[in-house]
Amino acid sequence: MSDASAHALEHHEPVTSTGIPNKKVLMWAFLGSDCMFFGTLISTHLIYRKISATVGGNFLDIRDVFDIELTSFSTFILLASSLFMALGVSAIHKGNLKSMRWMLFGTIIFGAIFLACQVYEFTHFIHAPGNELTLSTYRGEPHVFGSTFYVLTGTHGTHVAIGVFWLIGWLAYSFTGKMSVAHALDIEICGLYWHFVDIVWIIIFPVIYLMEYAL
Amino acid sequence: MSGHSEDPVAEESKRFFTFFNLSMILVAITGIEVVIIYVQTFESMSIIGVLFATSIIKFFGVVWWFMHLRWDKSLNTILFLMGLVIALGTYFAVIYMSDVHPVVEKFEVSKLEESWKSDTAYKEGDFVFQDNTYFQAQKDHQSSKQFENKNWKKVNTVPHLISYRITGGADMIEINSKNPGNPFFLLSHPDGSEEIDESTIALLTENATSADFRLKVRSEHFWTEAQ
Repeated sequence: MSDASAHALEHHEPVTSTGIPNKKVLMWAFLGSDCMFFGTLISTHLIYRKISATVGGNFLDIRDVFDIELTSFSTFILLASSLFMALGVSAIHKGNLKSMRWMLFGTIIFGAIFLACQVYEFTHFIHAPGNELTLSTYRGEPHVFGSTFYVLTGTHGTHVAIGVFWLIGWLAYSFTGKMSVAHALDIEICGLYWHFVDIVWIIIFPVIYLMEYAL
Repeated sequence: MSGHSEDPVAEESKRFFTFFNLSMILVAITGIEVVIIYVQTFESMSIIGVLFATSIIKFFGVVWWFMHLRWDKSLNTILFLMGLVIALGTYFAVIYMSDVHPVVEKFEVSKLEESWKSDTAYKEGDFVFQDNTYFQAQKDHQSSKQFENKNWKKVNTVPHLISYRITGGADMIEINSKNPGNPFFLLSHPDGSEEIDESTIALLTENATSADFRLKVRSEHFWTEAQ
């Protein structure tokens, strides 16, 4: 490790009264508020899943629609993307721009694969022959499951998409020659957001998908 | 700034192994979750308990190490936990508010043993017990001094009156016989009124009591089971 990169870690963050950079405090406050946001969406889905347990006089068995293999695969992909993100943050802290680029690229690719899986999943659900799950119906009967499910997973997918575009922005910026270790905090904040998206999926996957197979 | 080591670069390098190991653990835990669902050898509540526990482990694994809370100042942890606690509080509050269980106030099953009487008005479908045999009225009529077979149809089953009173609202009531040799099944969809006081006649092959039946009531929110 060069002296330059060794010194890189002792960088460039303004002193604040909390001892934590304001941007970082702001991001954690935002993530706290986003917890409430997703908490509301997950609660809404679970409560309506309980009180609207039937469709057309029969119990709603959504396993006919879910594709647990695909969802498990996308879960593994998102977990792997978090590893890339953590290593990318670590790389920029060490001043290793090249490594950071590869890690951000890996995170972007894995995030894009996750989004592609979600688009495929939604398309498959809406057009599943005999088991169509739309925003307001299931198998042609009015039901609330599609509303709460698509809004929750769609909002998560939107968060992933925002994260992917954010990372693409930093990856592109890294090629302008203006990026330095001074931007480590910015990448770290981007990483916080990305990991948050990951932990939301860590809750959604068992609670919304796997739980259906346990009931 | 995260990290307080004297050699921050070495500290960051060490984290590589932490991150890699954590990532492998997360993948392994997710694999266990999926396998548990596939195997399906445990009871539902056990599976839900395991999924709950593994999710918490994964959640805090990512927050603690990937998101650097392990090395950050506690203010960040507090800020995040505030949101998390409020989110959980909201969830449990909403669950609590919607926790309105239907209550089975009465569930009785009794054999119809009313004997035939003279000079009595009977309606079509009424049951009477006469000479150790059950009869059902074939039409509305006024009984005379003597039992007249023309007004009655012999019944080879044992009529029982099943009566129930449910409060708290219900949109589905299901009554099942627990005894396969004495079958009975009733499914009804009340209009959702707060108090339901109803009865029905069950033609059974043998004598039964309420202990021989299972009554399930589903309100808008919950299932309640009695006997």
